[in-house]
Amino acid sequence: MRFGLFILGALVALGQQRSFVSCPIVRDTKTVPCFLAEYEGELYYLGIQQDITSAFHPPQLKHEVLVEGRIASDPGAPRVCGGIPLQPVSISVLKEVNLSCNTLLPAEPGIDAPAAPRGPGPSSLHRTEAANPRKTLTGRQEFTVLYAFNDDYLEFAANAVVTEAAAYAKQIGASNVKVSGYRATTLLSNGDRLVEKAGLAEKRAQNIATLLRGLGVSSTVVESKNEPEPGDGQTDPSRRRVTIVVAP
Amino acid sequence: MTGWVGLCYLYERQPQNIMRRLFFIAIVVLVFGIALTLSAQYQDRFKITWIEPGSGALLPEFDAFDSVEGTLGVLNASGPVNTEGHPFFTPLGTNGRACVNCHQPTYAMSVSTAGLLERWRTTDGKDPVFAAFDGSNCPGLPQEKESSHSLLLKRGLFRIPLPWPPKNADGSAKPVEFTIEVVRDPTGCNTSREFGLKSAEPTISVYRRPRPAANLKYVTSGGQPIVLKTGTLADVDPETGKPVSMNLMTDAREPSLKTQAVSAIMGHEQARVAPSDPQIQKIVEYESQVYVAQQAHIFGGPLAVAGGPPGLGVAALRDHRAGVLGDNDYDPVFGSFSSWKGNDYYRSSVARGADIFMFRQFWLRDAAHINSIGLGNPLKRTCATCHNAQMTGQDLSAGWVDVGTTNYPTWTEPATWADSSELPVFKITCARDADPHPYLGRVIYTTDPGRALISGRCVDVGSIVMQQLRGLAARAPYFANGSAKTLREVVDFYDRRFDMKLTDEEKEDLINFLGVL
Ligand code: HEC
Ligand code: HEC
Repeated sequence: MRFGLFILGALVALGQQRSFVSCPIVRDTKTVPCFLAEYEGELYYLGIQQDITSAFHPPQLKHEVLVEGRIASDPGAPRVCGGIPLQPVSISVLKEVNLSCNTLLPAEPGIDAPAAPRGPGPSSLHRTEAANPRKTLTGRQEFTVLYAFNDDYLEFAANAVVTEAAAYAKQIGASNVKVSGYRATTLLSNGDRLVEKAGLAEKRAQNIATLLRGLGVSSTVVESKNEPEPGDGQTDPSRRRVTIVVAP
Repeated sequence: MTGWVGLCYLYERQPQNIMRRLFFIAIVVLVFGIALTLSAQYQDRFKITWIEPGSGALLPEFDAFDSVEGTLGVLNASGPVNTEGHPFFTPLGTNGRACVNCHQPTYAMSVSTAGLLERWRTTDGKDPVFAAFDGSNCPGLPQEKESSHSLLLKRGLFRIPLPWPPKNADGSAKPVEFTIEVVRDPTGCNTSREFGLKSAEPTISVYRRPRPAANLKYVTSGGQPIVLKTGTLADVDPETGKPVSMNLMTDAREPSLKTQAVSAIMGHEQARVAPSDPQIQKIVEYESQVYVAQQAHIFGGPLAVAGGPPGLGVAALRDHRAGVLGDNDYDPVFGSFSSWKGNDYYRSSVARGADIFMFRQFWLRDAAHINSIGLGNPLKRTCATCHNAQMTGQDLSAGWVDVGTTNYPTWTEPATWADSSELPVFKITCARDADPHPYLGRVIYTTDPGRALISGRCVDVGSIVMQQLRGLAARAPYFANGSAKTLREVVDFYDRRFDMKLTDEEKEDLINFLGVL
């Protein structure tokens, strides 16, 4: 009973948040494939195949995925690739192989992927150097490296954050660089809690410190909090992190 | 024959009018055609020029070597090379070998099984290339027997002994995430008390093809501080401290051409004394200026001609910038082939093959270090997604990928477990707290763990660093384990592996395309 109340409360509080673990579903289209996932009989749209540099990294067949996303605020918003779009959405590919995650649906007339910056072939985009925001930064700065659940792999974007932080530290000749590692909890929509493995906070922090040293930043202080961060079912992905505080 | 192609090379440097060009092409095609017909009757019409160590030969700036399908061009960009006393061509160790034994200009600075077989016959197996240490299946075997060198003679494979566990630069053992057991040992080397995993110096023997020691500016360019595929620091060049491309060797174990040359001399050449700095310098200078590429084809005529595909031939390799991404539709991996689209049967087939390589979509599935690095599984893309660097088709980032050649069940070895394998089979068991292999889990059977033998990581088992795709026609067989005897077998592998459903015509086109690189 108390559990039921809790769920009800959680649902009200979570509003349109969905956090669940399931097998991804891949749907082919005339262009790039769409990635979807099913939860409680409803199909959610996660995103399309893109490039390594894009913010969305699709899930993988042969693996379950932890989906943490928000249903678009407009309830009448159209479905995408047959699913209710989650945006923003965080994708964590769970590490263990699961052979039952194997659904690849053929393309169907009428189901199209949203316009993709890069199609399924070679890229048509000319590479442009992004403006460098670092030049405008001054003083003490905090950089945050985010991770997928239970993972210490640095994705492309995270890798760029570390490179940025190192460049900034060198630019201002930082005397103090503090690296703090965390592990976190995810509160699932069904009320279950998933906690990242012990030791992960330290491993994340040590990895980042090693990278910073390799990038020429000395004087790093490394700390980690082994106690998992709490989960609220709303902002959980933001706590799977390492922070790098760079001070002059 | 060689003279003709030499002419082609010179010819492309001079502006000529169209009629003369057509006439010239016609003559070349005719001569090639006749040569081919003759060669069918008299196999040794095509004389192979095997350079012996210490021969003192003078190598011209441009040279050309015939193979069955056409001609390989070899360019010494800094001029003729005097091999007299040159450390690449002179034995520096104890077994009579020099680099050139295994990196022959004739075979695109690798060596083909055809060449090795002929060498076995003409020297009665005495050529130093067959040295017991790594030119036989295992040093303990009776060396006079052909069967003791079967992997080299049949598949072009040298034994690569690697210490297990791997060592850090300071000699300490690296932490590793898995245990390794030998479950099949057809060569006897991995279970040998003297050379194997349980010997005084525990060693894993894998068997690999020599990678071309040419076009190396492309192989060594493009190092980034953080390796995209692992999110960890790239190895650095011990001399300059700069991050390296991690595209050298099947497992990226060598950070620089210098360290590679020293290891080759201490290993393949079994030297007891380390080579001198000037010797290493000279080796690296030589291999950094030598370019190989197909230069002419029996049906296609000279490949590098004005107005033709700009990426073909050795001069293009010499002149092009290294480290450029080619996985795009405006400036593709091997340049545009559109000028060959037309009614010439052979050339339009090559041009279609180039399009297949760049544009023919299929589902890339279960390839660790491609699908697992944020691109998703499956990924609807093309050959050029993996083979993305301009001019060589390697990976611009660190090049290791498990494309499935060495790991069960996609491996190229006998499909059924009961069949005998010519290669050793290892069982890898990953620790519970390690990240498993993304598609094979925690127990993996493999004929070559590849990058994992160096990194000690489970996710790397079966990841092989892509080779450059140049001079292919001159250096069969293919893949690090020599399992594809022909380019057709390479294409068949991909057709099976990724369920590409290539038509016979598409296969032919792709083969023709790979054959002109
Ligand atoms: C006994 C045959 C043999 C000899 C002698 C030999 N190599 Fe090699 N070479 C190989 C093999 C086999 C490989 C691939 C090894 C691997 O990938 O693990 C290789 C790889 C290389 C590569 C890497 C190319 C790439 O793209 O990754 C270079 C460069 C090279 N050798 C240069 C040399 C030099 C320089 C010497 C002489 C000092 C030499 N080799 C002597 C067999 C030989
Ligand atoms: C998932 C990445 C990937 C894709 C896609 C891919 N390759 Fe490869 N390719 C590799 C890797 C890795 C190797 C080295 C494998 C080995 O040696 O065992 C390789 C090796 C090769 C070789 C052998 C070169 C040599 O010197 O032995 C050829 C040829 C080749 N690929 C052609 C192709 C063609 C044609 C396609 C498209 C049909 C293709 N590849 C698609 C990753 C890929």
